[in-house]
Amino acid sequence: MSDSQGQHGGGHVSDRYSRQTLFAGIGPEGQRRLASASVAIIGCGAMGSALANNLARAGIGRLRVVDRDFVEVNNLQRQTLYDEADAASATPKAVAAANRLRAVNSAVEIEPVVSDFTADNALDLLDGVDLALDGTDNFEARYLLNDACLKMGIPWIYSGVIAAYGVSMTVQPHATACLRCAFPERPLPGTTPTCDTAGILNGIVAAIGGVTSTEALKLLVGSEQLARGLFWMDLWENIAERIELPRQPDCPACGLGEYEYLDAALSEETATLCGRNAVQVRPLQRGGALDLAELGRRLAPLGEVATNEYLLRAKLDGYEVTVFPDARAIIKGTDEPSVARTVYARYIGS
Amino acid sequence: MQVRIRYFAALREAVGEAEEALDLPDGATVAQARGLLAERRPALAKLLPACAAAVNRGYAQAETPLSDGAELVFIPPLGGG
Repeated sequence: MSDSQGQHGGGHVSDRYSRQTLFAGIGPEGQRRLASASVAIIGCGAMGSALANNLARAGIGRLRVVDRDFVEVNNLQRQTLYDEADAASATPKAVAAANRLRAVNSAVEIEPVVSDFTADNALDLLDGVDLALDGTDNFEARYLLNDACLKMGIPWIYSGVIAAYGVSMTVQPHATACLRCAFPERPLPGTTPTCDTAGILNGIVAAIGGVTSTEALKLLVGSEQLARGLFWMDLWENIAERIELPRQPDCPACGLGEYEYLDAALSEETATLCGRNAVQVRPLQRGGALDLAELGRRLAPLGEVATNEYLLRAKLDGYEVTVFPDARAIIKGTDEPSVARTVYARYIGS
Repeated sequence: MQVRIRYFAALREAVGEAEEALDLPDGATVAQARGLLAERRPALAKLLPACAAAVNRGYAQAETPLSDGAELVFIPPLGGG
């Protein structure tokens, strides 16, 4: 944690942030507030990378970076915290992000968490933060984040990007509209385009990342210039607009206090990963931590197996199976949940 | 009366154009416009239910009445990140 007198990174803090504190909306007092702030970034793909990068450079005191996935070569076009070495070693994104962010700004306390964001752990993962940012790539996680933040009274910012389009919307619990005021029902998988079907340009990630991270700064310094409503843009069609979005009294979440996504028992064992030809399998009945070394010995006769500090990777039956200590696995080579469950049961156990 | 419908993101791709003029009976609501569009453009039928609607840049509910010359935008939830 830095203070205004501290030395780090080869320069005085006041020098380090001088171009930011010169900006009247931040100033020295704003910078002190940023340095004492704590932010959770849920999901660290393209958007999470952009947000974490901006906030670490801006001197946020503490960043908790949560991600369930590992780095792959096809992430590098837009996920700016990662490089080829991360992809070659299949480093979990939260870990690779922490390494990079610590190199960028050693004064920021980075807490990487390699985990899914679920109804089971959402409240713990948001505990103690002043703000949560949405770096997720699916609505299951966003509707859960909306519920958890409303319940805990934590502001959060929805960011969504696809193709050349993006949206950003700041939610201040019970003061402004929430995600369900705008979109009452969670879009079901398969009904909205994903990076898989529509692609994504890295410019829209930077653009929406800039909008959202600047809103984050405003929130953390207590600015009254916060944007209201839903911002959307299309970089290809040259459109940027904002619509007014009042709270909806009959909103199930912020109006009626029904947190159905947070209260739901874990019901989905699998999740298809955006743009990946891969399915995550998350066993609903969990024992303790999986012994990856023992699993590696068991699988070695069946295919090529490699392990690192964080995961086991095996090539089995034409699938690439990546297993984490929490017993989650990512099965690459299919987007069919039933196929992934079968592969999981066959090689890891049911 | 006539309203101006604007399409964004997946809706624009489904329709193939950025906007169109839609004739509606006087006093028609957002819900009626939505219904008529879904009928005329089957490609929109499965996308429209999840969309937020804005009239003249303000969030509009299903029963919000439209007026001649109004701009109606349907904004789909964007999932990627």
